[in-house]
Amino acid sequence: MIKTLVALIPLLPWLVGGWIAVARVGRFSINERKIGHLSTLSALVVLLLILGLDVIALIQGLPGQVDVGTWFESDIYHVPISFTLDWLSLGHGTLVALLMTISMRFSTNYLHHEAGMMRFMMVMNLFAGSMMLIILSGNAVLTFVGWELAGVSSFLLIGYALDRPIATRNAQRAMVTNRIGDAGFILGIFLAYKWMGSVSWDQIHTLELGNDLISQTSLIACGFMLAALAKSAQFPFSPWISRALDGPTPSSAIFYGALMVHAGLYLTLRLAPLLVQEPWIMTLLVIVGLLTAFYGWISGLVQSDVKSALIFSTISQVGLMFFMCGMGWFTLAAWAMAAHASWRAWQLFHAPSLGFMTSKPAQPVPRWLSNQHWLYTAAQQRFWLEQIGDMLFTHSARKMAQDTRMFEERVVDRLIGVPSGESDTISSLVRWQAMKFEGGDHRKGHIGYGQGVFGKLIQTVATLLHWVEKHMVLKGTGENFLSGLQMLGNQLLRIDLILSRPRYLIFMIVITFVIIL
Amino acid sequence: MSYLSLLLGIPLFGMGIIFLLSPRQYTLIRRIALLHSGLALGLAGWLWFLFDTTVATLQFVEHLQWNTHLGTSYALGIDGFSYPMVLLTALLCFVSLLASKGVRRPIKGYYMLMLVLETATLGVFMARDWAIFYLFWEVTLIPLFFLINFWGGPNRHGASINFMLYTLGGSVFMLISLLVLFDASPNRSFEMSAIALGAKTLPLDTQILVFLGFLIGFGVKMPVFPIHGWLPLAHVEAPSPVSILLSGILLKMGAYGLIRISGTLPTAALAFQDMLYALALIGLIYGGLLAWRQRDLKRMIAYASVSHMGVVLMGIASFNLIGMTGAVLQMVAHGLVAGSLFLLIGLLYERTHTRDIGDYSSLVLITPRFALFTVLALVAGTGLPGTAGFIAELHTLIGGFQQWGWSASILALGVIISAAYALRTIGRLFTGPVRPSIRNIDDLRPHELIAVGTLAVSIIVIGIYPAPTVSLFTASVTQFSTLFIQ
Repeated sequence: MIKTLVALIPLLPWLVGGWIAVARVGRFSINERKIGHLSTLSALVVLLLILGLDVIALIQGLPGQVDVGTWFESDIYHVPISFTLDWLSLGHGTLVALLMTISMRFSTNYLHHEAGMMRFMMVMNLFAGSMMLIILSGNAVLTFVGWELAGVSSFLLIGYALDRPIATRNAQRAMVTNRIGDAGFILGIFLAYKWMGSVSWDQIHTLELGNDLISQTSLIACGFMLAALAKSAQFPFSPWISRALDGPTPSSAIFYGALMVHAGLYLTLRLAPLLVQEPWIMTLLVIVGLLTAFYGWISGLVQSDVKSALIFSTISQVGLMFFMCGMGWFTLAAWAMAAHASWRAWQLFHAPSLGFMTSKPAQPVPRWLSNQHWLYTAAQQRFWLEQIGDMLFTHSARKMAQDTRMFEERVVDRLIGVPSGESDTISSLVRWQAMKFEGGDHRKGHIGYGQGVFGKLIQTVATLLHWVEKHMVLKGTGENFLSGLQMLGNQLLRIDLILSRPRYLIFMIVITFVIIL
Repeated sequence: MSYLSLLLGIPLFGMGIIFLLSPRQYTLIRRIALLHSGLALGLAGWLWFLFDTTVATLQFVEHLQWNTHLGTSYALGIDGFSYPMVLLTALLCFVSLLASKGVRRPIKGYYMLMLVLETATLGVFMARDWAIFYLFWEVTLIPLFFLINFWGGPNRHGASINFMLYTLGGSVFMLISLLVLFDASPNRSFEMSAIALGAKTLPLDTQILVFLGFLIGFGVKMPVFPIHGWLPLAHVEAPSPVSILLSGILLKMGAYGLIRISGTLPTAALAFQDMLYALALIGLIYGGLLAWRQRDLKRMIAYASVSHMGVVLMGIASFNLIGMTGAVLQMVAHGLVAGSLFLLIGLLYERTHTRDIGDYSSLVLITPRFALFTVLALVAGTGLPGTAGFIAELHTLIGGFQQWGWSASILALGVIISAAYALRTIGRLFTGPVRPSIRNIDDLRPHELIAVGTLAVSIIVIGIYPAPTVSLFTASVTQFSTLFIQ
């Protein structure tokens, strides 16, 4: 019973999303409104399901770890489909389901008759399922699945406006920053497997290994915390989130105001028993949290548009929650998270209609800040975090890519040969005609020529063999043999003709007589 | 009921009916030929249900004394080696008759000769007496000679004479060897079982010489490296339906004969084992490289056939269970692949009158069905997993590896070369801009689609689920391979 319910929760939105995808590919004509209502309904059912679970938990006590089955296993590696149902996941899950229901209903009207509405709803459903999976999953691998799918749906929605290059570039930036965190997540999963042979959250909690400064526990925690900080846009990963507001408002509200930005914090709360064993990681969380709060606060003060102001304030709030975690106040952080999610969602849903709701003009930047010129500039430039990151990583990566590209072109391509690259195929009629105009059909002379070391080798050997074939096999026995035969026949015919002339006939008869006599 | 005689008789009967018709009744002639070839295919297919796959012995045996003084008899029978070939022959004959619509008139003689060719080829695979084996073997030459000589391309006369001389030259050696074996057989009989008994009594030197004679005879047909000179010429000049039969079945006759004679003279065959292996590798690489160099599509497929028959020879020469399985599978696979390639290129040639790769481009836009089937056939030729060629090459490679170790991996080199020319051809034929000169060619018509589709489906079915096909000859191959365990 519980197993079916809990498995249905992430599955249901995915099924709806999949159905929309099929309908879109199959080009069925379906009403946009119907899709919106269907998605809302599925979110509502998810909410009811999780409320049902809450009731069960209240009556019978917490179910704890629920094993549904095995996802895959190989030798000692075993990945179960398991869910953790404790107060943290149930409480947060209820909130998420509620917010999802509201935002689905909101989007039904908000995106009515918008191009790409189906696409939007499809991704929202994907995200809804993924978020529920992050919250309910009982092991790190399953959480990672939700984590990645949430990242992908965020990528798809930031780049919702396909025709705006800036939007797609921002989507890419968000994706890449998140991938840094994902690397940490994968490292955490790997180390957990290596040292404990399990990825179940409840087993990772009870891990106690060594007392060194950098123990095995701290390495595992480090990996997961890297993922959490990147996902929650903490310092120094913050810049991506302020660029992520290109998507439609409901998605911004859900992703960056209410839910996804808290996913990192949720992971931290999930790992609380592990983290308290490692004081220096707690200290790190305090520092990062405070830095982020400061960064978000100052930068938020100087923003001139409502969405940016909201997002910076979100960052600073989440920073404060990380600070709470670092201090060991996990319960407080959990409550703060729930309250902040609800409040921020409300704010962001209202952001587009702010003009109607306010009568007073926006407050100017506080005087103390505008007097501090350098701080003001720094805040407006968002402390150059993005530029620094670009300078440190992007530029050097690009330079390295250029160098390898050069190596590829100058050395590798020449050795291996370009496999039917531009030089070999002609992509357009215009090019073909140009080629013909330049001098004959370029393609005609191109068969039997190889590129690269292997190609040249083949070419040489094939030419040699062709010579053998032409001069030995075909000519030697074929044509030459035939013409030789014909010549021989002609000679014999000539002899025959000569012999049949009367004088030679008589001569032959005479010779015969002579021999006989 | 004598199924095999019936199978032999159906095409002959059809030929007889066509003989009585007026040469102007084009449609009727074609229909009668198709009907009889189709009946033969149906009967050959029906035999699948009657064929017992669990035993290696001969089935559907017919035996009739013919000439007691000479020791010849009309003996037919099929086992696991013959039955796949019989089925392939019936299938490809039917397909090539379907594809014969564009053949130059007059067609009465053409269809009669094709039906005679079908009977003769079926006879080769069914014969259980070396005398009638030889008879059918030679009878195949006559229709082929006329078919190439009258309905072939511009250079047809040279090609047909060349083909005739090569094959007859090989047959002479085969005949001499056959007579030596006949002389040694205990009760002076040409029957295969009697000959096999007698062959064992010969001294080893004689056995080796006798085997060499057969090797030349079958090697010409197969073809084996230095004596393949007839093949490119004949394949290019023959009309396309005849090319299908030439490369689809006629080459298999050589391989089939080699298997039979190896079973008769196992000791001598083992003495030649390494030489056969070397010839197989040479043919494999040689054919592949020359195919890569050709710009004439038919010539390319002809040389590719040399390369693919190298795989068959390698499988046979391994003389072990898995290698032989690969060889027989490759015979089937190559029959289907080369058959469909010649069919497609022939149909394309009918429409464009050029076979130069450089004259084509962007067929995928103009003729998507052509493109689909040609790509399938070409990649099947390279042994793409999921197609019949893959199963065959894999078996051969494993069998070769068991016998000769790492040097068998040269087969993989051959596969790479085949991929090089196949992909090159795909790129040239199907991509690029639409050329004005070939803008208006028709796609496959329904009857052509049936012909090509049958072959394509067979290629894929065998590639994905080879078990039923393999089970046809497993028993025979198992028994055969025990002959070579010393």
